[in-house]
Amino acid sequence: MRRTPLHSALRLVALALVVLWSAFPIFLIVTASLKPSREIFSFPPSFVFVPTFENYVELFRRWPAFVDALVNSLIVTVGATLLTIAFATLAGYGFSRLRSRFLTGSAFYMIVVRMFPPIIVTLPLFPIVNFLRLNDTHAILIVIYCTCYLSLGSWIMKTFMDQIPRELDEAAVIDGATLGQILVKVILPLSTQGIVAVGVFVFIFSWNEYLFAFIFTATEAKTGPLILAEMLGSIEGVDWGILFAAATVELVPILVFVLLVQRFIVAGLTAGSVKG
Amino acid sequence: MKPARASYLLPAPALLMLTGVIALPALYVFYLSFTESSFGTETRFVGFANFAHIVSDGYFWTAFVNTFIVVNVIVYGELLLALAIALLFAGGVPFRKLMFSIMLMPYATSQVVAVIVWRYMLEPDVGIITQVLANLGLPALEWTLNRWHGLTIVSLVSIWLHLPFTFIILYSALISVPRELQEAAHVDGATSWQTFRYVIIPYILPAILVAMMFRFVFAFRMFAEVWLLTGGGPIRMTEVLATYLYREAFRYHNFGLASATGWLLLVATLIIASFYLFQMYRRTLKHDA
Repeated sequence: MRRTPLHSALRLVALALVVLWSAFPIFLIVTASLKPSREIFSFPPSFVFVPTFENYVELFRRWPAFVDALVNSLIVTVGATLLTIAFATLAGYGFSRLRSRFLTGSAFYMIVVRMFPPIIVTLPLFPIVNFLRLNDTHAILIVIYCTCYLSLGSWIMKTFMDQIPRELDEAAVIDGATLGQILVKVILPLSTQGIVAVGVFVFIFSWNEYLFAFIFTATEAKTGPLILAEMLGSIEGVDWGILFAAATVELVPILVFVLLVQRFIVAGLTAGSVKG
Repeated sequence: MKPARASYLLPAPALLMLTGVIALPALYVFYLSFTESSFGTETRFVGFANFAHIVSDGYFWTAFVNTFIVVNVIVYGELLLALAIALLFAGGVPFRKLMFSIMLMPYATSQVVAVIVWRYMLEPDVGIITQVLANLGLPALEWTLNRWHGLTIVSLVSIWLHLPFTFIILYSALISVPRELQEAAHVDGATSWQTFRYVIIPYILPAILVAMMFRFVFAFRMFAEVWLLTGGGPIRMTEVLATYLYREAFRYHNFGLASATGWLLLVATLIIASFYLFQMYRRTLKHDA
């Protein structure tokens, strides 16, 4: 296609707008967390300023609960990620290698269940969770987060495992390997791509999730997003400096993670929705 | 070669989890929607009373209309933006990898953090967007007082959060359009617009439909954006179905009413997803043969 200078200039303007839209809010979070409180709302915003860590000092002094919440977030996130990877790998292998009416039906059933709005299950689960004394525990969040991503996870694993040649399994069987050995020694090493893709989705979701944490935790198992929401909803007015320090601590690790694993996100999304 | 019998049990843990945590509770919600109960205990059968109540509840209709409007604005807004940006990227951009990473950044952001930064930018009087609007002589967004302004902000935050998803799907589809196809159209004398309209769009249509279906289904569940931004206020005017459900269940202890709402949400979702599910059903069956 021919490009006039005007055409190229318009493209650059459009691109600048895209960057402004995507990155500017995140840039604001991080810079505002490093500004003294009185400068946070200065307009036009100061881009050159002497960074201060007073907001971070105040955050950890006044909100010790935030550190506990980050630890909770980490436990729940890692737990949900490992559990999902384990179950999705098993299911994905089954769906990829075996043919039966029951399996076809259950693979389809998984897609249907994925469409159910999860908020509705809070209604019957709430009394059951209370009865089992699972309320306010890491376990309940791990189970729920894992379930939310089992459908997508199993389908992603199936898509990736379909690409592993069946001859490898067959050779292993002839060598006398058991099902467990085939899975661990032949399939697992070749499906790391899929495992990472599945893990990435659960990890991001569990770290950021709000609704279920809001309903099923009270004090002990509170996660990071809940503390942020508390700070935002504070009646005495929002302390923006501290809030931005907390938001930065919450956001930056997962942001770096997402940027590192972006090719898995792209691969997983296309495998899980378009193909699967 | 016959696979080991035990291997048929491989999907069992996943299926049990999905059934125990989602499918069975969802069915139970169907039962609850015909009962009156608080916290799911001491249920009393009331027939269609909950549905009758919902239909006559003004707050439900507000939430219903809000959800309908917001979901459509979000899905179509995202679709147009994502398509435009995907075309921009497919046409070649400088620092493509870096730009792609920047485009993905909101994907890492939680709903809470997104609400925090958008609220900061939109704070009455002092927020940066508020001040830019004022300097341009435009009216302020009174999102704490005005229903439509509130819903505008909710839509904006939601589009910001989910644009990367739609973008990734459309961009992947766009770069898979065979070059020869576009060149052939060009040789036949098609203008850029004609190539786009009659070659590219039909080619990526399946991806567009899938992206839209997923966004419809997920936008329908929207809770945190509304809950944390407006709390459904002022006077429950910016509520959506999920916040209506939450409030009825966990604030007013009307579990029957909330269950009826939940079931409507589920049915609406399945209707939206039906074309995709039907397609997947055919494809899994074909796979089986």
